[in-house]
Amino acid sequence: MKIVLTPDWFLGFDVLIEIFSFIVLAIFSILSLRNYKLNKNKKSFLYMGIGFGLIAIAQLATIFTKTVLYYDFNLVQQVGQAIITSNFVSSVDIFYHIGFFFFRFLTLAGLYMIYRLHSKRTYLGESLLFGYFILLSALLSAEMYYFFYLTCLGILLLIMRNYYTIYKENHFLNTKILLMAFGILALSQLFFISPNGTMQATANVIELISYTVLLFLAIKLRKHGKKKKSDGDNIRYVGGNSAKRRKH
Amino acid sequence: MEIISDMLVAILQKGGSIKPTHLMYKANLSHNQMKGYLEELEKKNLIAKNDEKKDTKEKVSIKITPNGRTFLFKYSEMKEFEKTFGL
Repeated sequence: MKIVLTPDWFLGFDVLIEIFSFIVLAIFSILSLRNYKLNKNKKSFLYMGIGFGLIAIAQLATIFTKTVLYYDFNLVQQVGQAIITSNFVSSVDIFYHIGFFFFRFLTLAGLYMIYRLHSKRTYLGESLLFGYFILLSALLSAEMYYFFYLTCLGILLLIMRNYYTIYKENHFLNTKILLMAFGILALSQLFFISPNGTMQATANVIELISYTVLLFLAIKLRKHGKKKKSDGDNIRYVGGNSAKRRKH
Repeated sequence: MEIISDMLVAILQKGGSIKPTHLMYKANLSHNQMKGYLEELEKKNLIAKNDEKKDTKEKVSIKITPNGRTFLFKYSEMKEFEKTFGL
């Protein structure tokens, strides 16, 4: 069975795209956790930070596994040797399977956390059930690779539904950009479902576009508040005028 | 947190320094409320009282510190993040 479906001519580029994705995801995770540090009453910042963080770690797992797989480092020989001599399995494949399993499991767990952020109530039983299905999906995808992308697509569509509802309420450009980024990411999952090499490469490029949009959003968020007023003072535009709304 | 940011914004809007009575009006706070918040902000080094004209009570002014400006930047970024993600 083929472990990686990426066409030969695209090998290496996919790792570069994953490194870029990791950086963008880590930026969002750090931004969320920094916001949580500022306002510890708002747990949703923490969960969002963990969600993005999990997907970032998932990217790291696949970067590491693919790098070893593509460039045949000494490490893989040592790991392979260790596995063979311990009679655990007769193949080094397990190393890749573990690496990709972590990629799949952490990606699904992270996406689920981002999706759950907007749920009014979280039931433990429901979360455990979802956790079980995520684990099952990550395990089954070792044999049926498309199962993982289908699950990702499903959760991404649910996330998009959440952000669409939010956008309908706030008509905020940033939310629209976010919705667009998740939409492009969902589209890439559709392409990943196909075993065709060219489709896999296309999916990677679409994924790159979605993470570029997310990076643009992160820069936009960072730049906010640095707007200069006409008097040159570096005043920050903080929400609406809450002082006028306040009652004693 | 919102009140703190309102107070700091009010100081910035006045060019970085404001009289306590103006701040009370701008931030829409009662005298006692403002007293409490000012103490907290001073303790956190977000504002500083102008000591130069200490003896003339009316001329006491409140200045925003570099820490206060950094706090406002972070707060503004947080609000933008919150609005974007609908948190």
